[in-house]
Amino acid sequence: MQKQAESAPTTVAFDRRQVYRPFLESLNAVAPSRDVFARDLIIPRVHDPHDLHQPPIYEALAQTAELNRGAQMALVGGIGSGKTTEMLLTQKFLNRHSDAVNVFVDMADYTDLNELNPGAILATIGIRLYAWLKRKGDVPDAASVAYRKLRQLAFPQRKLVSPEALEPDYDGEEGVWVETPGLMKARFPDLRHEVKEVKDLALAVASPLLVDDAQITFLIDGLDRLINVERFREFAEQDLRALRGTKITVIVVAPLMLLYDKSRFIQDYFDIVKHIPAAKGQQETAFLRQILERRGVLELMDRSELSSIVKFSGGVIRDLLTLASSAAADAYRDQQDRIAPRHVRAAVNQLGNRYLVGLGNVQRRRLRRLAENEEFNVDDPVSVALLVNRQVLEYFDRGRESFAVHPALAKVLPKPE
Amino acid sequence: MITFPRTTVFGLVRRVAATELTNPSIYVLICEPEAMSAVQSDLAAEIEVQLGADLRSFDASHVTIDILAQAIASNRTPGVTLLAMARWEHTLVDSIDRNIVLLTQVGPVLFLTSFDVAERILTRAPNLRSRLADVLIIGPDEPIGGAS
Repeated sequence: MQKQAESAPTTVAFDRRQVYRPFLESLNAVAPSRDVFARDLIIPRVHDPHDLHQPPIYEALAQTAELNRGAQMALVGGIGSGKTTEMLLTQKFLNRHSDAVNVFVDMADYTDLNELNPGAILATIGIRLYAWLKRKGDVPDAASVAYRKLRQLAFPQRKLVSPEALEPDYDGEEGVWVETPGLMKARFPDLRHEVKEVKDLALAVASPLLVDDAQITFLIDGLDRLINVERFREFAEQDLRALRGTKITVIVVAPLMLLYDKSRFIQDYFDIVKHIPAAKGQQETAFLRQILERRGVLELMDRSELSSIVKFSGGVIRDLLTLASSAAADAYRDQQDRIAPRHVRAAVNQLGNRYLVGLGNVQRRRLRRLAENEEFNVDDPVSVALLVNRQVLEYFDRGRESFAVHPALAKVLPKPE
Repeated sequence: MITFPRTTVFGLVRRVAATELTNPSIYVLICEPEAMSAVQSDLAAEIEVQLGADLRSFDASHVTIDILAQAIASNRTPGVTLLAMARWEHTLVDSIDRNIVLLTQVGPVLFLTSFDVAERILTRAPNLRSRLADVLIIGPDEPIGGAS
């Protein structure tokens, strides 16, 4: 068989590339979501993965935005769980009303998320609303002035300043500030001066829309990659809180760890919190199969290989696509016209090894204990890191939460010596 | 020792050629530190021959996420971007991990590095790891009719 493939004429190899190329492109786990939408490769869930009797997340988020202007909602999920897709589905659903202003933003497109400062989200909202108004026609002078000031605050400036102007502005004030704790501890810290300033400017930009009673929804992606709970909390307490009462709705993607944070900040702060767990159970498995089938996998593999890929993805959508794509790349390299079980096995090992790299004895012991006894405590830092890094997956099936070692990792996890 | 599949420069470029150059993909390529510049040269040559495209190389110790993102975004012609990381660059990897979408907007991106650095990337950059097309061990191509 192998010999035949090796001695095949060049045109056959060329044909094989034509077979695999569209397949690999449709399975690309990092293709921009907008392209995936444009190619009609998205399969929307028909229910909330947490509760099969509830409508899908995108519908629930969009309907809340339509009926409760100014609501603040969070979407939580592990890496690769399909949060961006769910946000874009929400935006698409909201777009059914032509007068609605729906803006999707990935904060990484505006600033280095490592150097994000409070106020940056508000500034982005103002900037994007100005762009929206500009596209629609005339922008009132007051909004244009506010926009220019907003840009000056938001982006680094370089200007010539006379040395005199750099002298410290000493106004003769004497004494030091002393804080006296009151009877009641403030629930949230005060808004910072600069955040208040940006808020006023953003609202000035938004005023023509707010006066017209427009339905404005911002879908903010990327903040989940902050990972650190405290960093996310800072943005919620400053930028998002500044928007309270403004009738501008926000839906933000939040780090998974917030769901397990003891302070219960996310549950207390947001009006609605939706969680995308790793897919598990009959209906969710059928959903994973549909994703692969929509992308044409049955043209290149049998149903048994498809089932293996679904199983070893652990219900993580990006891993599902990665496994199918790796298996296809392996089959292509192997000069085969179809994906065989060995190609799927190789893809599973590759994915498992990626998760295995860097795990020390403590983590490995923890994983073995989970695999053997289903014992997993999300309260300690080691477990938290395993969950954030997706070596451990969180499931929610028929009202019951459970944890499991990622099946691709479980496959390569060495036995204790 | 955890092992990853081995490939050659020719094999990798053939793999990249299996999809359009405008298709985003990210690879971590592991090689011996002393072979890094030879692999880089072989990649540039092979990409030109097989794909008729340029390899845009960056030294990780001299770039920031902004420089990298700008370079990728301003590409007028399809090409392959290579980031050579001879030693662990904590700040850069952290920035890449948080701003990973900037690297997934156009074309293939290759991280060329040693096993130790690759291990740290896979451990400390979960957003990047989740988006990898592959992790491969690569060496310079053997010269035709080379040492027997």
